[in-house]
Amino acid sequence: MLAFLSDVSQSLDAYLILAGVLFAIGAFGFLARRNAISMLMSIELMLNAVNLAIIGFGAFKPELNPSASVIALIVMAAAAAEATIGLAIVIAIFRNRKTPLVDEYDAMRQ
Amino acid sequence: MYETLIPLIIALPLAGFVFTTFLGRRLQMSFGRNVAAAVPLGVVIASWIVAMVVVSAVLQHQGPFPEHGPGLDVKLWTWIPAGIDPTTGHALTVDFGFHVDTLTAVLLIVVTTIGMLVHLYSVGYMAHDPGTWRFFAYLNLFMVSMLLLVLADNWLLVFAGWELVGLSSYALIGFWYQKRSAALAAKKAFIVNRVGDVGFALGIMAIWVNTGTLNIQESLATLIEAPAAELTVPLSIIALLVFAGAMGKSAQFPLHVWLPDAMEGPTPVSALIHAATMVNAGVYLVARANPLFAHAQDAMVVVAAIGIFTAILAASIAFTQTDIKRVLAYSTLSQLGYMFAALGVGAFVAAIFHLMTHGFFKGLLFLGSGSVIHAVHEEQDMNRMGGLWRKIPITHWTMLVGTIAIAGIPPLAGFFSKDEILGEAFKFGFTWVWAIGLLVAAMTAFYMWRLMGKTFYGESRVDPHVEPKVHESAWTMTLSLVLLAIPSALLGLALTWGGPPLSPDGTGLLKGWLEPVFRGAEEALHHEAHAYELFGIDGILILASVAVATLGLVAGIALFGFFRARGLRATADRIAGATRVTRFLYRASLNKWWFDELNDLLFIRIGGRVAAFLWWFDRTIVDGTVNGVGALTRDAGGGLRRIQTGRVQNYALGIAIGLIVMAGSFLVIVSR
Repeated sequence: MLAFLSDVSQSLDAYLILAGVLFAIGAFGFLARRNAISMLMSIELMLNAVNLAIIGFGAFKPELNPSASVIALIVMAAAAAEATIGLAIVIAIFRNRKTPLVDEYDAMRQ
Repeated sequence: MYETLIPLIIALPLAGFVFTTFLGRRLQMSFGRNVAAAVPLGVVIASWIVAMVVVSAVLQHQGPFPEHGPGLDVKLWTWIPAGIDPTTGHALTVDFGFHVDTLTAVLLIVVTTIGMLVHLYSVGYMAHDPGTWRFFAYLNLFMVSMLLLVLADNWLLVFAGWELVGLSSYALIGFWYQKRSAALAAKKAFIVNRVGDVGFALGIMAIWVNTGTLNIQESLATLIEAPAAELTVPLSIIALLVFAGAMGKSAQFPLHVWLPDAMEGPTPVSALIHAATMVNAGVYLVARANPLFAHAQDAMVVVAAIGIFTAILAASIAFTQTDIKRVLAYSTLSQLGYMFAALGVGAFVAAIFHLMTHGFFKGLLFLGSGSVIHAVHEEQDMNRMGGLWRKIPITHWTMLVGTIAIAGIPPLAGFFSKDEILGEAFKFGFTWVWAIGLLVAAMTAFYMWRLMGKTFYGESRVDPHVEPKVHESAWTMTLSLVLLAIPSALLGLALTWGGPPLSPDGTGLLKGWLEPVFRGAEEALHHEAHAYELFGIDGILILASVAVATLGLVAGIALFGFFRARGLRATADRIAGATRVTRFLYRASLNKWWFDELNDLLFIRIGGRVAAFLWWFDRTIVDGTVNGVGALTRDAGGGLRRIQTGRVQNYALGIAIGLIVMAGSFLVIVSR
């Protein structure tokens, strides 16, 4: 098992597959969950999946290494900012509409 | 001085019109009809005096009117200062100005004199009408318009006058607007005139495009000197377009149908507008544009043909009409036809001569008929008149003068002008015009005597209730009749004074006056002056025209009597119904050759069908297309609105699906 894991961790494909699975879970959660907080968490999942893919590329392709680390840091900063603002918006809407369920937020129809 | 006097001729009636429009009704309510009529009558008399001062100066070559001069231009202001066309360099600048030459002067005599006498007559004629003030306001407006038409120095101003006389004619035909037939007749006159006006307007545009000026004298001079290849519209077409306007206003075939119906208006209106002045506007227009016509001889043949055809057509209809005013209306058509025939053969002076004499004797006949209608209490049917000559002697004698004048018996006015038209037509080689004209002369004498006989002679057929009350008209009316009878009798002699046929060596008075205006056209037409032969060809022509006129009169006297009572009505009917041919001709004449029916079929029935089809096409096809596009857009929007749910997750799903599709297609392309 450990041998398998150490084998697998030597290949880029394993990281990319993991990133893809994480992204799919995040996307499904964003589309399927009705709770705004869960949706924000799904977004974080997708962002981290992307970050994982970038870091993976950086680790296995030496010419990409410096850029990948920088991009990953920037994505983290952006994700933190996004999470803060997103949470603030959700709280504001929650105070206004008295519900965390996004399918009741249909003011954009009008 | 003349720069002030000439605008004054128009300004006076204009002031009268404005005054009467705003104050006439109050004056009439407070002080009676005669006071309301005083101002309009006064301004027209004043205008006549001013006009006569100007006319005498023009005709005697005093002041700014030297002999053989081009006439006086009085520019009041620049009316339309529009810009310059950069491609041609033509400037559309229109002045409000007048041009006075001998032709204008001759027209001024006719318009102001007859206008004044008709105003005078109307004081008596309209004495029982509650709308007297309105009538006089319209009459003043008509005088303004007609004088503007005659005096204007550019085509656009002529056109403005042209439309204004049409407007006042419309208002006066429909003066008794409560009467349905009068309202319809007014509308008919207006609409039929529009048909001709379209042609005139197009003609004016063609003139401007080709000359770059709207001034009549300048544009004509430019037009006839321009090489034919440089003209965008051929001269003949321009001439015919201008003639189309003349046809409408002067009621020439096929636009003649409005004039007989226009008799629904009060009789003074028929005399002034529909006999003596407005209907002559077409003749004036063609005479004014004489250089244009002289250089477009195809167009002149058309003018001659339409003129002489209208003359014989209208004369044949006048044979059987029983309404006294309608007989005179058809007679007017016929005489206008003579004038156009004269213009067409190139006898411009003869046409203007006939315009003048006809204006006076036809004005007289119309005013006389109005006096008769007044006497028998608004009855216009000649079958219910007869034997009136003893009861209304002044009307009878003056109308007799008019009848003999129009019949063409020397030495009355009609003889000179009609003979000149026929003689010139013959000498210029238009034998067919001469022959038809001669026939029409006989017919004229006959139907005019029929009118006299049925109205004044024979047994009385007047309504027995009205019979004892028949009386001569008021003094203003009889005075006008007498004042018109004098020129009707003597004008022909006066205007040919010093010329043929009175004195074969010289040129007549009128010919001398008008010679500078028509000189260019006469030269272009190669009418070389030839010696007048009283004992040769000219004498024979005179004898022929006098003979046919006498023949017509004698036939009329034989059938309809002269002073004595005769039971000849049956004879006339018997002749009319004798053979199949005459029966057909009789019915055709009685029904005016079915022109109203033909127009009804062509324009109301068939034209109505076409219009209904076009309306359907517009409604279903054109509107359908436009509305269809609108409905499609609206429905598409309504359909697409459903997918805009406003829910974040639906949009996110869309983004996700789009992403998957894009990524999938990328993979497919890459792996290929």
